[in-house]
Formats: sequence, C-alpha cells, structure tokens
Amino acid sequence: MNVAEKPVIAPESLIGQRIQKKDAPEKAAGKTRYIQDMVVPGMLHAKILRSSRVHAKIKSIDTSAAKALPGVHVVLTAADVPNQQPIGVARDHLPLKGERVRSLRDEIAAVAADSDEIAEAALKLIRVEYEDLPIIAGPEDAIKPGAPLIHPAPLDADGQPKSLPPKTPVAFAGKADNIAMRFDYTHGDIAQAEAESDVVVEDTFQLHYVTHCCMGVSGVIAEFDASGNLLMYSNTQVPFLHKREFAEYLNIDPSRVRIIQPPIGGGFGSKLDIYPFEVICIFLARAAKRPVKMVFTREEEFLASPTRQPVLLTLRSGCRKDGTLTFRQVHTLHDNGAYTSWGATTPFVMMQTFSSLYRVPACDYHTTVVYTNNPYAGSFRGYGNLQATFAIEQHMDMLAERIGMDPLDFRMKNAQDAGEVTGQGMTFKSCGFKECLTTAAERSDYRRKHADNIANRNARGPVKRGIGIASMLHVGGGAKIYPSDGCGTILKLDDFANVTLITGASEIGQGSETVLSQLVCEELGLPISAVTVVNNDTAITPWDVGVHASRTTFIAGNSAIGAARKAKAKILAAAARKHGCDEAELDLRGGFVVVAETGEPLVELARLMRNLHFSDKAELVMTTFYYEPPSVHQDKAFKGDVSAAYAWAAQVVEVEVDTDTGIVKMTKVTGTHDVGRVLNRLGLEGQIEGGVVMGQGYALTENLIVDNGVTRNPNFRDYKLVTAPEIPEMDITFVESMDGEGPQGAKGVGEAPSICIAAAAANAIYNATGVRIFGLPFTPEAVYRALRGATPKPHWQAWKPA
Amino acid sequence: MTAIERYAAPNSLDEALGILQQGEVTILAGGTDLMPQTKAGRIAFKATLMNIRNVAGLSGVAFDGDWLSIGATTTITAILNDPLVKKNAPVLAEACDHFASDQIRNAGTIGGNISNASPAGDTLVPLIVLDAEVELASKPNGAVTTRRMPLAEYFTGPGRTKRAANELLTAVRIPLPKPGHVARFYKFGARPALDIATISIGIAGVKKDGALTDIRVAFGAVAPTPVRAKRTEAALEGRRLDDATIETAANAARDEVNPIDDVRATAWYRKELIHNMTKRMLDHVAQA
Ligand SMILES: Cc1cc2nc3c(=O)[nH]c(=O)nc-3n(C[C@H](O)[C@H](O)[C@H](O)COP(=O)(O)OP(=O)(O)OC[C@H]3O[C@@H](n4cnc5c(N)ncnc54)[C@H](O)[C@@H]3O)c2cc1C
Repeated sequence: MNVAEKPVIAPESLIGQRIQKKDAPEKAAGKTRYIQDMVVPGMLHAKILRSSRVHAKIKSIDTSAAKALPGVHVVLTAADVPNQQPIGVARDHLPLKGERVRSLRDEIAAVAADSDEIAEAALKLIRVEYEDLPIIAGPEDAIKPGAPLIHPAPLDADGQPKSLPPKTPVAFAGKADNIAMRFDYTHGDIAQAEAESDVVVEDTFQLHYVTHCCMGVSGVIAEFDASGNLLMYSNTQVPFLHKREFAEYLNIDPSRVRIIQPPIGGGFGSKLDIYPFEVICIFLARAAKRPVKMVFTREEEFLASPTRQPVLLTLRSGCRKDGTLTFRQVHTLHDNGAYTSWGATTPFVMMQTFSSLYRVPACDYHTTVVYTNNPYAGSFRGYGNLQATFAIEQHMDMLAERIGMDPLDFRMKNAQDAGEVTGQGMTFKSCGFKECLTTAAERSDYRRKHADNIANRNARGPVKRGIGIASMLHVGGGAKIYPSDGCGTILKLDDFANVTLITGASEIGQGSETVLSQLVCEELGLPISAVTVVNNDTAITPWDVGVHASRTTFIAGNSAIGAARKAKAKILAAAARKHGCDEAELDLRGGFVVVAETGEPLVELARLMRNLHFSDKAELVMTTFYYEPPSVHQDKAFKGDVSAAYAWAAQVVEVEVDTDTGIVKMTKVTGTHDVGRVLNRLGLEGQIEGGVVMGQGYALTENLIVDNGVTRNPNFRDYKLVTAPEIPEMDITFVESMDGEGPQGAKGVGEAPSICIAAAAANAIYNATGVRIFGLPFTPEAVYRALRGATPKPHWQAWKPA
Repeated sequence: MTAIERYAAPNSLDEALGILQQGEVTILAGGTDLMPQTKAGRIAFKATLMNIRNVAGLSGVAFDGDWLSIGATTTITAILNDPLVKKNAPVLAEACDHFASDQIRNAGTIGGNISNASPAGDTLVPLIVLDAEVELASKPNGAVTTRRMPLAEYFTGPGRTKRAANELLTAVRIPLPKPGHVARFYKFGARPALDIATISIGIAGVKKDGALTDIRVAFGAVAPTPVRAKRTEAALEGRRLDDATIETAANAARDEVNPIDDVRATAWYRKELIHNMTKRMLDHVAQA
C-alpha cells in the first residue's frame, strides 16, 4: 500500500476548490483562435481525394484535368512520391495509395490550390479507374478459410511472391492471412477453476462503431522554411512523438521539425496516431514550396477519422454458490479495419479489466485483431474498457442472479482492496473501490429500487423503470506504453513573482493548464492568476509522451510540483540568507515569504525576486524537473505494474423504458469515483459530467452505421449525439483515497466516467424489463426488437488462431 | 460551385411575382432546407435567387373570416408563440414545439416547410388533419391571381407539389375549429430534440358522446408524401371510442401504411410505431 496522510487543508489552499478553467473566458467569448481560424501568409488550401470503392485495384489515375484547373498548384498521387514510408502501429499503411484501396477512406490523390473551393473542384476532375475486389465486410468473414487477403504479398513479374529482406514492413511485404495482431494472456488454471465452479455462464457481446465527434475536426498546416526545416501547426495529442515520426519519415534530423499546437477543440484519443492526411499535407507543402493548410469537413471527419474499436466478445465466467468468482475466459475478435492504428491495441486495457477489476483466480484472455475493408479504429476515451466493462459487468449481474445473491453483495465480495497484487502484476497502492460501490449504491437507494423494479415489471402501463450498477478499474497514474512515461517542466519566476510554467503536457480542453497552475501555486503560495502556461511548442516545451491514458494531472502534475518545489527551495534559501534565519522556518504564502509557524510575513515575494535579480549575484529563479513514474513496461506475457496508480469507480444508472417504442430514457446517474484527491472540483465535475454523457451516447444513441464497408450516416442528422434535454440528473461524489504517489494524492480521471455507463444501462434495462441485451447501442428500435424477442442473441464461437 | 447570377429581395408581392414570372428563379425563405440541399448537391440554384423574407404581407397570423390565415414566411418560432394559433390550432403549436431546435425555428418558415414537401415535414401532418388549404399567387398576364387547394391534395412526391413554377405559396389557411374539436399530434424521433420524424401521426375530429366524427387521420414519414389514412378514419368514424374500436383502428393504421427501410428505421418498426402510438393517442383522446 502507498497511501498518503490527508493533510489538514489550510484555509488559503487551492486544493479542492472550484477553479474556473483558464481558457474558459476566451472560449466562451468566441475569441479562441483554432486551426480553422489560422491564416499563414501565402498558404494554400488542400483537399484529399478518397476512394469511391471499398476494395479495389487501382488501374489508372488521371490528374491532368485537375492540374490544368486555374488556381491549382499541386496535385499529388502515390506516383509523385516514390519514397513513401509506411505509417501506423503495424507499419501497414502508406499515406497515398497507388495500387490498391482497402476502404472508402483510402487516400488516392491530394490537391493544393488557392482556395478550398478550387481544390474541391479539382478533385472532381481526377479520373480513377478501379477493378473491384471482393469485400470483407466483417471480422468473421476475415478469418474464414480462403478469405480474400486485405494485404496480400506482392508478386514479381513471374507471379511469384517477391523476395524481400526480413522485417520489411507489412505495407510492402503484405501478410499471409488477415490477422493483424494477437494478444494472449493467462493466469491460474482455467480447467481446474471451471471444475470448481457451481455456476458457469457464457455469452457473446457485440460492440459497435462510434466516433469521437470532436468539435474541432482534424487539421494541420505544414510549411518548410528556406533551409528545409518543417514547421507544423497541428491538432495532435502527441507532439513529441510526431516530431520524431515526421523526422524519421522525411529522413531529417528531429531538430528540424517543430510542432506548434493551436488550441485544440477536443481530442478524446482521436488525435493520438500519425495519420495519412498529416503526411500528405507535408508532401504538398514540400512540392508547393508554400504553407499548406488542410482541415477536414465534418463529413470527412466522420468518414476518415478513427472510430472506437468494434468488438465481438465471447465471455465465459464462473463462480461458487457462496459468491466467489472462480474464472473468466475471454475471446475477442477485433475488427481492425483496413489498417492498424491504436484500436488494435485496446486489449492492453481490456485484459486488465478481465484479470483485475475483481479478484479472479484464473483468467484466460485472447484477442485476434483482423483486417477488413472497414474504417480503421483508433484510440478513444476508455481504450477498450467500455467494451470490456460492458461484458464483465453484465456477467456479474447474471452470475449473482443465478446464485440468488444481491448484485451489490456479489461485487463487494469480489472487489479488490488496497495492497492486492493481481495476476497481471498490477499493484493497488491506493484503492477506494468498495467505498465507491457502497456510496453509489446508498446514494441511489440501489437495493430498494432494484427489488421494487423487479416486483413492478408486470404492472400495467407501457413504461418500466430500471436501475443498474457497474464498476470500473482504469489506469490512474499513467501507463508505461513507451520506454518513458514521463513529462518535463521548466518553471520560471520573473521579477514580479509571476510564474511561467513551461510544460510538455498538451491542453486538449481537459483543463490541464488550470490544474497544473493550481498545483504550482499551492507550492509557491501564489494566486492562479500569477501563472502563465506555455505548453504548445516543441521548440520550447520539454518532452512529454502525449495526452492519453488519463495521465496528465498525475504525470505532468508531479512534474510541475517537482519544478515548483525546487524553485521554492531556492527562494527560501535566498530569503534565509538575506534575513539571517533558517530556511526550514520559512514558507511561501499569499505572495510573501512568511515565518512558517506564525504566518508572519517576512518579505514580499516579488520584492525578494527583484532583489535577487538585480543584486550583484544577478540570480534568476528558473528550475526544471522531469518526472518519471515508478511504473514498469509490461513483459511479453502482459505482466507488470504498468501504472503508478489505479482509479476506481462505481456508477448507478436509472432508466425508464417505454415498451411501446423502445425508447430508453436515462433519468439519473449516481457516480462515485476514487480520484485519489479532489484538486480542481469544478474541473473534475466537468470531466465526469462530460464523460457520463459520452458514455450515454455510446449506450443509447450513437451508432456509426458501417454497411458493407460504407459509412451510411456521416453527419450529425443521422449520427445522433446526446442533446441537452436527454442528459440525466447526476449525483457525483468522490472518494479520496490519497494516493501516495499522486500529486497531492490525486489520480487520473479523464477516461473513467465514460466506462461504466453502457454496462450499467444494460443492467438497468434488464432490471426494468427482464430482457437482457447483449449488443450496443440501445437505440429505440434495437430495444423494441429485443423486447419483442425479435433480436437473435449474438453468438460467436470462441476462437483463436492455432 | 453555384451559378447564381442575380440576387433579388423584393419588398412587395407584386414585384416578387413579376420576378417569378420571368422564370429560372430559386425561392429563398429561411434557407434551412435550401442551403443544406444545395451544398450537398441535391438541388442546384437557378440563375436568380429571390429572398422572399422582405415581401410585405407574407408574414404573420390573422383571421380571415372563418379561417385562420398564416403567411408563408411566418417562422416556426412565431407560430409556436402566436396566441391565435394556440387558441385555434393548438396541435400546430405542439408540432412546432417538437420542430428542430431554436436556431432552426427562428429561421425556418411554414411556407418553406410546406414547399420543401418532405414526407417528414413536421407541420404537414397537423395541417392536413386540420383541413388546411394552401394559397398560391402568380402574375401570368400582368395581374395578380390566386388559387387555393386543400393541403391534403397538394403533395405529389418527395420535394414535389402542384405549385407551378411561376407561383408563390403565400399562405396556409385553417378553418376555425367547431365545438368539441379535438386534435393530437405525435412525432417519433430517436431523441426528444433536433430530430427528423421517424414517423408522425395526426388525429383530429369532433368528439361527442364518446365518439369521434369528422375524423381525420394522417401519417408522416411512411410514404413519399404525408398521407391521409382513409381506412383508419373509416374504422373510427362515428364509433364509440372503446378498446375494441381503438384496437381495430390501430390495426388498420398499421396495415394501411407502407413505409420503407432507411438509416433511421426499418419498415417493420415504423409500422409497429404507427400501431402502438395511434393506439396510445386514441386512448388519451378517449380518456380526455
Ligand atoms: C438542423 C435542421 C433540423 C431540422 N429539423 C426539422 C424538423 O424537426 N422538422 C421539420 O419539419 N423540418 C426540419 N428541418 C427542415 C427545415 O428547417 C424546415 O423544413 C423549414 O420549415 C424550411 O423552411 P425555410 O424557410 O428554411 O425554407 P427554405 O430552405 O428557405 O426553402 C425550402 C424550399 O421551399 C421553397 N420555398 C420556400 N418558401 C416558399 C414559398 N413561399 N413559395 C414557394 N416555394 C418556397 C424553397 O425554394 C426551397 O425549395 C430541419 C433543418 C435543419 C437544417
């Protein structure tokens, strides 16, 4: 265990206060200048021609008419960029496709022109001849014997497989099957655990496509200076990884790539990979010798930004009559789409939930990720955890019902405690899981309502009420996916005691600037207004791995505290020297150096800073700190304590189901989150409320309909986000487990609030109607069909490659 | 790219009809259908774009003898808040309350909703069950002439009406309700706001001694145009609104509509909704 003492909070402390986001006034006033608003002198406007076939060979591309259109500067196809390198997690992806298209989002040509309209008109003049290939419309088709290959090995002139050097990337070498990735994890003896079970249940769960719907769509501006240095204005969540990737891509020194992030209108994981459009924009800028701007239309964002990972999942779970879990066996089939991005790696997170949310003596987890001709999936808030939790938390209710145990008692009996080490080697240093469960249940009156609703199922009237609970475990102290999971800070105090906090951590709307300022001010005894945050320029900010894995408050927070503490030590030492006292007796409060014990002001901090600066020593207070969490990279068997802390939550969802229409109205969400410690209460509430609504959309309304490789609803008319009147009443509370490693005891919470909602909604619908639905989303028609028994139960025979 | 050669914003009906008479005119009211449709390439602008929002006398609600007359450029918001509508055609106000969002209602007009002739247009079904008429004006020989026709006969297909190219829709007229008149509207969307109807139902009639007469039933989004449901009407006309009548009518409704599958719903589900919600609405009328 590693739990910190909760200090008595001083009245002037900022911790736990409700602090307005620093960027809120600008955004509310419409003054924030996003990439859409940016004009770089001399810039051209770019558009991409995407495939009009789902799967086809490209016979020919004719760009002559497009090139001839007045106002067009550059038209590029794969033929114009002979040295394309593959991108993506599996290096199976060339930005411009020359020989073959594998999905409708595939990029065939790109145009840079004087205006968007001209670029658009030029696209219409490009003629592409295709030869259609058979389509793999779903993951089950991809693994059928004799299925057409999405990435076949290239043949030489004699029709023989080309001989290529070993380790040639998939984009050039192809693959002998449609399997993009595999994940296999086991702990315990499954056969024995199953033999010891009194009850075993097995079901298939089907998780659908959704997409992020960031208000700020994907966009980039690329420009080369006269010496060939690349400057990009980019919405990316991972500027430092991009810097390195683009440098590798262009075969130039990384010092020649600079990335500036204008304010980003939401990320949620969608801006975490390197994408074809970014590389293509660089190609265009290089060819045009002008800055080139490319911003997606909303339709394009739906068609060509990543989706959440769709999953087919067969789960087998067992327990004993006394309510002890015995085993879980999981097989999933992940629809990768045509190329591999982060969606394929969601098993990292999914298996944590299966192996470690509850104590389970045996766990056997297998994922096969397969290529299809569908859009490709990326990372999305929760990173597979919504999918895993949907299955596991329904099974918890089903097992409880089978052994006649209350679902809450069943969870409590198997819930983790602080100090436990799981089969995967995750070590729970702080753990408020049980308190989350009991608090959420009590505040929502879960037990009584659960029983009443069952009793009322057959009462008159079409509307049935239901209540459901679900819990979650997620990384809360970063995730060591890369060799480093760290973040650097440079902190500078000027001669007015104003702080410039230069951090590697990107702001994507989540409120990191505010919480980092707060943590710094807490150390230095200054008001939030004293801090200016610089966080968006790789030429200035120190390294950070990127915004993902709910890590920023924890990692960048610890880094900021580290720099602030160094500054504080420097300041107190100087003050002690000057005033002839012991620095251990001094503290910083309210803009003054004070005597710690009495609070008596010794000298105004600003004055001390000027004295230091303008004295004969001419000293500046400028510190740096790099924080690396004490977590480890998992080994090949997926074992290792990958995060420095783990976050917990339980959420209770209440619904009304109209059995005449299938409409599920979410009436209330009661959520209790173990956040370690509340830092910015307002930011936390905003994060949770937004996350709940995102979870609600996943559960009830959002559905990217992909039909035989074609996205049928690439617009907000038919892709339904939750609107204001649908948002449920929320009762959000926090458990402060005071994590010993967390900044002021806090843990990450960014992804947590979305994770349980669909699972809890499924349990609530069952509680209301006695009908269990195994596939998402719970749109009115889907629910209505299920209530009428008109939905075949999903079934996928558990399978893994030999 | 568009090829608008001329923009006109006439102030009088006479002037507007004169421009229309010259031909090759696209009429612009609130633009909430026109702009998305042209942008998506589904319809093309003609040489002249004529904004009719400045035309005097085309906007507002007023009595006209035994009729309530609503000018073509009256916005959905104005109708929603109009006291005459609330009193004499509350079902129309109710439909406006389920219409899009505030921003769209502030711009979108009733004339645009009718002229767009979508089978899912929210004002059409209530207007049909209220026996509304459209008023069309033109200036073929230098003088303004008008004609009227029942709205139920006006639509010929999705986006198509009996309006001639030189005609402007000037108003929609609703007869003032008889004593005992009841009317109900139901719109099914997957969410409560900002949704296109999956199906919609309008029911009106005169309620006396537990029975409905002068019955009108209409459905939206189940056919190429909004449709009167004659067999459902026949199952109800003059009968006591008891459980058996209601069930018979709801079954008739399900059997007489012929919807399609699309991204919003399957035909099967639309038929189920028509049945279940016709039943629920009639139950409510019976209990009221
Ligand atoms: C986000 C969004 C949500 C929407 N939600 C709904 C909804 O919930 N329910 C609904 O019913 N509709 C909805 N609509 C559609 C639209 O708002 C309505 O149909 C609206 O009433 C159209 O009116 P308008 O004045 O904007 O028409 P315009 O777009 O100006 O015109 C529509 C068509 O009618 C023609 N026209 C307009 N006025 C006249 C006239 N007086 N005489 C002859 N021809 C004319 C135009 O040339 C054009 O072809 C929505 C639209 C959007 C963009």
